[in-house]
Amino acid sequence: MSTDPLKLTPVEGIKARSDYLRGTLAQSLADDVTGAIADDDTQVSKFHGIYQQDDRDVREDRRRQMLEPDYQFMIRARVPGGVCTPEQWLTMDAIARRWANNSVRITTRQAFQFHGVLKHNLKSSIRTINRALLDTIAACGDVNRNVMVTTLPEQSAFHREVFEHAKSFSDHLTPNTTAYHEIWLNDGNSRRKVEASRDSEPIYGETYLPRKFKTAFAIPPRNDVDVFAHDLGYIAIRDGAEGGLAGFNVTVAGGMGATHGDPNTYPRLADVLGFCTPDQVNEVGKQIVSIQRDFGDRTERRHARFKYTVADRGLDWLHDELEKRLGYRLQQAREFSFTHTGDLYGWQRTDDGLWNLALFIENGRVADKGIRHHLTGLRKIAKIHKGEFRLTPNQNLVIAGVHESDRVAIDHLVRAHGLDDHATVSPLRLNSMACVGFPTCALAMAESERYLPELVCKIENLLEKHNLTDQGITIRMTGCPNGCARPYLAEIGLVGKGPGMYNLHLGAAWDGSRLNQMHQENIGEEEVLISLDKLFSAYSAKRLDKEHFGNFLFRTGVIAANESHRNQKENAS
Amino acid sequence: MSVRALDIPLAPSAVADEIHLLYGSHTGNGEAVAETLADNARQSGFRVSLRSLADIRPAALKKMRHAAFVMSTHGDGDPPDDAIDVFEWLESGGSNDLKALQFRVLALGDSSYTEFCAAGRQLANALVKRGATEVAPMVECDVDFADDAERWSNELLEWCRENLTSNAANESPGTPVAASGTSPTLQGIPITPGWSRTRPFPAIVERVQKITGLESEKDVYHLELSLEGSGFQYLPGDSLGVWADNDPELVSRLLRKLEIEPSELVDDDGRIRSIRDTLTRHREITRLNPNVLEAWAKRDQTRARGKLARQLAQYADSQRKQFLEERQLPDLAEAFPLKLDAQELADLLPALGSRSYSIASSMSMVDEEVHLTVATLHSNAIGVARRGVASNHLNHRIQAGDEIRVFLEPNRRFRLPKDNGAPIIMIGAGTGIAPYRAFMQEIEESNRQSENWLIFGNPYRRTDFLYQREWLKWRSKGLLNRIDAAFSRDQAEKRYVQHVVADQGQEISRWIEDGAHIYICGGLAMGHAVEEALIDAIAIGRNIDRDAAKQSISNLRRERRLLKDLY
Repeated sequence: MSTDPLKLTPVEGIKARSDYLRGTLAQSLADDVTGAIADDDTQVSKFHGIYQQDDRDVREDRRRQMLEPDYQFMIRARVPGGVCTPEQWLTMDAIARRWANNSVRITTRQAFQFHGVLKHNLKSSIRTINRALLDTIAACGDVNRNVMVTTLPEQSAFHREVFEHAKSFSDHLTPNTTAYHEIWLNDGNSRRKVEASRDSEPIYGETYLPRKFKTAFAIPPRNDVDVFAHDLGYIAIRDGAEGGLAGFNVTVAGGMGATHGDPNTYPRLADVLGFCTPDQVNEVGKQIVSIQRDFGDRTERRHARFKYTVADRGLDWLHDELEKRLGYRLQQAREFSFTHTGDLYGWQRTDDGLWNLALFIENGRVADKGIRHHLTGLRKIAKIHKGEFRLTPNQNLVIAGVHESDRVAIDHLVRAHGLDDHATVSPLRLNSMACVGFPTCALAMAESERYLPELVCKIENLLEKHNLTDQGITIRMTGCPNGCARPYLAEIGLVGKGPGMYNLHLGAAWDGSRLNQMHQENIGEEEVLISLDKLFSAYSAKRLDKEHFGNFLFRTGVIAANESHRNQKENAS
Repeated sequence: MSVRALDIPLAPSAVADEIHLLYGSHTGNGEAVAETLADNARQSGFRVSLRSLADIRPAALKKMRHAAFVMSTHGDGDPPDDAIDVFEWLESGGSNDLKALQFRVLALGDSSYTEFCAAGRQLANALVKRGATEVAPMVECDVDFADDAERWSNELLEWCRENLTSNAANESPGTPVAASGTSPTLQGIPITPGWSRTRPFPAIVERVQKITGLESEKDVYHLELSLEGSGFQYLPGDSLGVWADNDPELVSRLLRKLEIEPSELVDDDGRIRSIRDTLTRHREITRLNPNVLEAWAKRDQTRARGKLARQLAQYADSQRKQFLEERQLPDLAEAFPLKLDAQELADLLPALGSRSYSIASSMSMVDEEVHLTVATLHSNAIGVARRGVASNHLNHRIQAGDEIRVFLEPNRRFRLPKDNGAPIIMIGAGTGIAPYRAFMQEIEESNRQSENWLIFGNPYRRTDFLYQREWLKWRSKGLLNRIDAAFSRDQAEKRYVQHVVADQGQEISRWIEDGAHIYICGGLAMGHAVEEALIDAIAIGRNIDRDAAKQSISNLRRERRLLKDLY
């Protein structure tokens, strides 16, 4: 870690000066002649779960109109494991309609996202989220983000047990600062904290982590969380097939983000480091976070994720450093196997005799549009539902814990509001996922959420042509290379490069154990379709029984054997 | 800028009578007329005292024997601020205490407003009521005042020569002394070579850009016109007069309704034109005035069923005013169709007036360009969408490359302080922000060291903060010390600029004590509300009673530190 303050990134300076995440947010909120907050505060606000964005569709118009960009905010509410109550759902629904753009966005990290919130509505929105016993702190920023858990539609008790560990870890890693309460929740004007109760951050320190940090808990055989895409992962291991929780395999140093044209940045699959017992979860995680805090690169944000810290130093170093901090070495990793990264749709009877219903929500956007009245339908369901909701890592929704006797009523509402896509749309669409992208995301280079549904239609036609309609294929699109929708783990990945242009990635494993490879760079729709047409033709003719598309491409050498970037890097050093 | 070339007072003789030239001027036009007259009167050998009504003690009128008043009217027939104290004094009672005073009034006004020249008339009546003698009838001038003002000045001087004692009896007797005869030559008004209201400059439109956001309820445009070749020299605070044609579609509808053939020829003051041309370019059809309404009602009575007259008879004044404000001529024709021939129609209607807009640019920044901020006036009051003639023309009918006929309307009463260090508080709502953009451009280009404060109001921050990027840039550059905004609809209870003024009493008082000039620009109602709020703000800020605060506002007005541009 560089300690030379001259070389630190500007964001490090902003964090250091922010006085535990205060910055000048209070003043920025009070300045009512601009819809924006001060530049430095746009970094600080992320730690509070708030991104400043603007409606990029009207950016150019507004420049000519001599108006500032149409600033608005994305608010991300943290929902550990994606588990929330019907009351919380109703609150989110109300916020969406009152202060946001009439939609709730379920994210790839099982969080709620609101878009289009104006500055003067931020406080009300955040207070309302907190009144519903959810929060937004650390939903973004250089901290441990929303902790994910496999939604596991078929095993209730085991899910609950793993979820409790995830929730406990999430709480353990939540920042300590009182700035969040002070700015958003206190009555009246934001007051300076009392001098006596000086903030401290025993885990993070006052500059927090060098970069965001992502944690997921996976429950085999389902890998819906894409556990290898995270900085830190816990794979639940049972004592025998039906036994209780023995502990977790710990995975480290995965991550999606890359930058176009910078070969020093790359997506990386996590390594399985070892095994820990349930009581060791928080301590192991905390020490791994502290290693990243101390060794992560604070001079270059592109190189600041934990995956680079580990890739640069090697797994042996990490083992040793972790042992030094823990006082013990992790046990040998246990056996496990995954089947799929997607969701199991429809009704599933759970081991406790209740029912779970997994609904397909295209790209996680819950809104009323066309024949689909998802926002209204789910509001009505939330009013009668007695169990819980689970947001899935694929941006879908599970209505969990339904009594047999309540299924009819829920089925009725599902059909009446067009929420039954899971029963009607193609397996390709059911395994599709796009990030938000235009018009709100500042990073988007190409369309994603607004475009993927249309592209899927065209690919469906190709699949039909090759008699592959019933074949599930994971397809993911992002508007930029940062990887919010985990495009590098899709059998077909489309990574935005410019308006209408994408890098076509192919060949990831159906179970999330192999990254895809870039097949063609910077191509438009027509070329994408031509390439897929050829490959589908070969796949249809030469695939083995039940062979998935990505595995086929890999086996037949269309996608070169690739040991993932980390090994190139490690071999080179 | 307003250099007076002939300002060489001659030594007054002991025997010469003194003429008091008093003006109550809103834009500075009245002041310019009075100045010219003063020069001419001095040259004729009279003793002259030239003052604003704001600068005299009202009771001093009792000592005067000969006075000429140049009185402008603004808005709804109100006298300009300068004259308020005198008006209040005149109307406060008193008996025949002005018996010694002989006077004559020149009234300046704008015939497109209902209460044309009302302040001048009110002044003359009040003076007569207190015993003064009006030596000749008041002369009313329209926006195009130069010729009438000159005639009045010459008549007045003539009267003085005949009735008063001067000490230059031999100097050019009997000939008018006004400068060179052709308008506009009034001194004190920036000369716009060759161009005038009646001979406007054809400016090329360079940019027409909507500046309210997508979902705004307001339709406000930014226009850039080229003045290249005009020789115009304007200053921040000045206005631009604009001639705009009526909407041809509206003219067609009107003629169809009245069953008049558009090509029918009429005699327009000696010129023969088609009625369509006459209505499109030479007659007022979007602003109804009481005379037209009266005439229409009369004809309705003799030729139709007299419904209009019966309806009007039931109206109180305020209802009648509202009736007028909510309607354009085509609406009247629609509701009360008449049998009229083309010539009758042409004769019935007043001449099309020019419209005037506060200039939104400074020549020190934009060179030979002039920028305007124009809100499309529209009304749906009676269920029909109607738009203002000029605003609609500027915002929706012309485009870059087109020509528009313009002339300068200098406003000497709305200029940046002469003292470069004097702080300014700019209060405005809606397009009232326009002259402040000119101020800030001037400030950015000059070395003004003042503290500057903008108080602005409009419905929504997101769509209606006119020129938002520029204001934020000036603030971040440190040229603008504060921006306080009242976005009326951004919170539950409506909030307007006067509320900001009321909330900032302490701070505004402090700025005033530091010598601040306060500017108010925008609609008349806002102007009144802001002034009331200022009085409260000062009362609270200085902890004085309301009367004392009112007095201190009067003082500011007199010191020309409270400046208004209201419409």
